[in-house]
Amino acid sequence: MEGKKVSATVGSSEKKEGATESGSEQLSQTAAAAATTTTGTTATASAAGVAKTIEVRDVNLFYGDFHAVEDVNLTIQPNKVTALIGSSGCGKTTFLRSLNRMHELTPGARVEGHITLDGEDMYARGVDPVRVRRLVGMVFQQPNPFPTMSIYDNVASGLNLNAGKIKKSQRDAVVERSLRGANLWEEVKDRLDKPGLGLSGGQQQRLCIARAIAVEPEVLLMDEPCSALDPVATLAIEDLIGELKSRYTIVIVTHNMQQAARASDLTAFFNLEESGKPGRLVEVGETEMIFTNPTEKATEDYVSGRFG
Amino acid sequence: MPEVAARAEYVEELTNLEQSALGGLDLVNDALTRTLEAIEHQDIELAQLVVADDDRIDGRYLEIHQSLITLLATQSPVATDLRLIASLLHVLKNIERMGDQCVNICKVIPLSGNEPPADEEMVKRILAMGKQTRVLIAQAKRSFLERDVDQARDLVRQDDVVDNLNRECFYLALAIGDDADRREWAMTMLLTARAIERIADNAVDIGEQVAFVVTGLFREFEDASHPA
Repeated sequence: MEGKKVSATVGSSEKKEGATESGSEQLSQTAAAAATTTTGTTATASAAGVAKTIEVRDVNLFYGDFHAVEDVNLTIQPNKVTALIGSSGCGKTTFLRSLNRMHELTPGARVEGHITLDGEDMYARGVDPVRVRRLVGMVFQQPNPFPTMSIYDNVASGLNLNAGKIKKSQRDAVVERSLRGANLWEEVKDRLDKPGLGLSGGQQQRLCIARAIAVEPEVLLMDEPCSALDPVATLAIEDLIGELKSRYTIVIVTHNMQQAARASDLTAFFNLEESGKPGRLVEVGETEMIFTNPTEKATEDYVSGRFG
Repeated sequence: MPEVAARAEYVEELTNLEQSALGGLDLVNDALTRTLEAIEHQDIELAQLVVADDDRIDGRYLEIHQSLITLLATQSPVATDLRLIASLLHVLKNIERMGDQCVNICKVIPLSGNEPPADEEMVKRILAMGKQTRVLIAQAKRSFLERDVDQARDLVRQDDVVDNLNRECFYLALAIGDDADRREWAMTMLLTARAIERIADNAVDIGEQVAFVVTGLFREFEDASHPA
């Protein structure tokens, strides 16, 4: 139900916003280009190189009067997995949501500072947030396939917003490519018309990833994508993240320190000095460095499990 | 955030394991002291005791090694903890080797026979090497416990004393003459000097681990193939 509501909102803002034109065109072109290559493997090669750099400069995030995140400066590199770690309430999820303009969806929430996607200011006047969310996809903690939709329609849901622009054959190709890209195709190809909710938790999460990559985003944000999954499904998602980084810029929030150590190239540690104060980015560096020889004592204490 | 009790236990256990592992250096120092005494007095009984007691060093090695592996498996240590555990696994091996070198010496003592030493000068130098190596062992332990890189680095300088004495032993052995018995004695003493020199080198290796724990970078203080 919630899913339907979201798609309806996105659809309506699409209709009324003139600024979405360029975004939708770019989207349909990419989808058409991808559709000409029918198998997942060749599509992977054709889509390589679209990953983009996110530059975060002097970003402060607020919920009304509450200052949630303070003075973040960070470069998120293309074709790398950047993990955001830190204890609950340190602002890492809030920060993640600012990277695709989802933070402002909370009433009273606002963003100060600059976030650019390959030099283009996401928050500049006239930039359509819906287009930003297309280019910067999000995968959530709890797998959230649209409950009434089939597996096929779940993946195609983003494309369906452009209904009429894409032929059925092209749509089929994008669905297959996306499911292959999410390592799910072999498991579901014979039941594409069955409900997405019939899948296991791990499969549902891969379905959500397939849905996110169907619209050819440039960045994938993942908010604790494995916290609701068992260890086997978790490893499957981590493998997938490793494959996806050849095509996308990936940012993942995780509470699982070993997951950050295993799956990411760069790790950013957020910390909250005391409750009521804003969260800050304490240290960012190569994951190997953060987990073997961090610079800051607060980072060392956190990754070593010395809380308090 | 509250201190998590299970984590505090882990931190305490790691500290205890470090103390216990480095305590192995005290066992080595005892073994070396006895070994030197056995050399000086040609005391074969004492030498046998050193050989038998080496089981204590080996036993400690196995016990702490297992405990460290368990910590790795159950606690996922990272950062300084991880470096400490990695270096302790290394240091344990150094300690075990140092104990074995004492055993090697004690096994050849009977070969030196009951005759008075063929060359008092050589014995004097070997005992001096042993005394200096005990200084190195104690300093290696202290520098590790205190995470003192300067003190650890100073081991190289201390080790030069041992190396120079070892070289002098070599030339004394060369000059020992043609007599077969004297030559055999000199060979045995050279093996002894060599074993002590190895013990001192292991102490320097422990110093390198100190630098690794503190800085996160492993560098040999001095590379034998590329002398400074």
